[in-house]
Amino acid sequence: MDFLKEKLYDTFVVDDRWTYLTNGLKITLIVTFFAALLGIVLGFLTAIVRSTHARTHKLPILNAIAKLYLTVIRGTPVLVQLMIIYFVIFASFNVSKVFVAIMAFGLNSGAYVAEIVRSGIMSIDNGQFEAGASLGLNYPKTMIHIILPQAFRNILPALANEFIVLLKETSVAGNIALNDLTKGGDIIRSATYEAFLPLIAVALIYLAMVMILSKLVTLLERRLAKRDRG
Amino acid sequence: MTMKKGFSMLTAAILLGVSMTACSAPPNTVHSVDDLNNKTIACQLGTTGYIFAGDVPGATVEGYNKGADAIQALTQGKADAVIIDSEPAKVFVSKNKKLTILDDPFAEEEYAIAYAKDNEELGQKLDEAITELKNDGTLDAITAHWIGDEADQVSYEAADIDRPNGQLVMATNAAFPPYESTAAGKVVGIDPDIMQAVCDKLGMELVIEDMEFDSIIAAVTTGKADVGVAGMSVTEDRLKNVSFSQGYATSTQVIVVRAD
Repeated sequence: MDFLKEKLYDTFVVDDRWTYLTNGLKITLIVTFFAALLGIVLGFLTAIVRSTHARTHKLPILNAIAKLYLTVIRGTPVLVQLMIIYFVIFASFNVSKVFVAIMAFGLNSGAYVAEIVRSGIMSIDNGQFEAGASLGLNYPKTMIHIILPQAFRNILPALANEFIVLLKETSVAGNIALNDLTKGGDIIRSATYEAFLPLIAVALIYLAMVMILSKLVTLLERRLAKRDRG
Repeated sequence: MTMKKGFSMLTAAILLGVSMTACSAPPNTVHSVDDLNNKTIACQLGTTGYIFAGDVPGATVEGYNKGADAIQALTQGKADAVIIDSEPAKVFVSKNKKLTILDDPFAEEEYAIAYAKDNEELGQKLDEAITELKNDGTLDAITAHWIGDEADQVSYEAADIDRPNGQLVMATNAAFPPYESTAAGKVVGIDPDIMQAVCDKLGMELVIEDMEFDSIIAAVTTGKADVGVAGMSVTEDRLKNVSFSQGYATSTQVIVVRAD
């Protein structure tokens, strides 16, 4: 027991080492939040372009760009993308690492969100488009008011899954010396040469965040279902 | 058509990236140890350089997973200085004309082999082997091959002997030339050569595991590796978790900056 107490003290209390974890958690949350926002915006835009092209054959150039984006982003690992953005694209700029991480993870997540949203749009019966048209709505209005709200409910579980993946994927940000949660644990590990406690602590914090996120999504799903019945 | 367009856009993006890489970083502002105060110092996480940098007043310390990444950040102006061991520093600087090493050495230290605390039997064997290698000149020959002008990729040839005493698993981080780096898919350098020589003395077969530097001590304490050999110097914190053999090389920590 005393042994464990000493280890706990050494891992978290000496030199205020616990602050590596709290500061890292802050960075992880900031990066995840803004990357998720960027991912949602990019993903919805890409999906709308792709499904519009599939249905109407309009927007050929935008569709080509969207396809290229999906191919490149989904075809390369996120860690490599992160390193490319930091060391190649921003080679000669001393740019904020948080910004680089948000860009990298946002761009990456956007590609996956795009395919999720596209599957949602495709799941809506063609008759809904015709219904919109017969009500005198043009294509964008039909998309915004009729198709997307229904699609959103269908894709919510998949979307939540994507953000859970995103949250955990940010753990590779340490490779550009960004002190995120995982890196915080690594720094403690490199100071104490003790693997067990820092790794378990980091794992528990990620687990807790994912559980909270899942809970929030369940609440949202329930609310949407209720509104649907009412 | 779209494929073609895609490739031409990708090529354009790569060219843009390459041309931007060529742009110059801000001028150097670090000319002595005292100039390090309040600067951004890039290091490899878990190294003694990282520990020293933490003691510099007001400095922002950035821990990269690889020494080469820290050097890259310095080249691109993302950091003002790198604190790293002198021999790898020389290799990095020789490959990058835009960098230079400051004359003030930062700290002197001794490299040794880490082994599990309760394994005194192995420790004793390691010490004996190193003493023999020191006395018969093998150690100096290996070091001379890797440091200096006659450096080549094969300095020590494993002896053709029976190895009845099993395997010796060595944990290292092959991103630390000339002590260890990867060439043609194999980990080569001073440390692998010395350990091969040690294994020849002990009648054991050398197995090298390449991992992150900050995982090496954990690998040794958990028994995933028998020894940690990675240009690792003896520090008090490390001694809490592992034992060290006698030293096999001395090194200094130096400051690398952009050339004026």
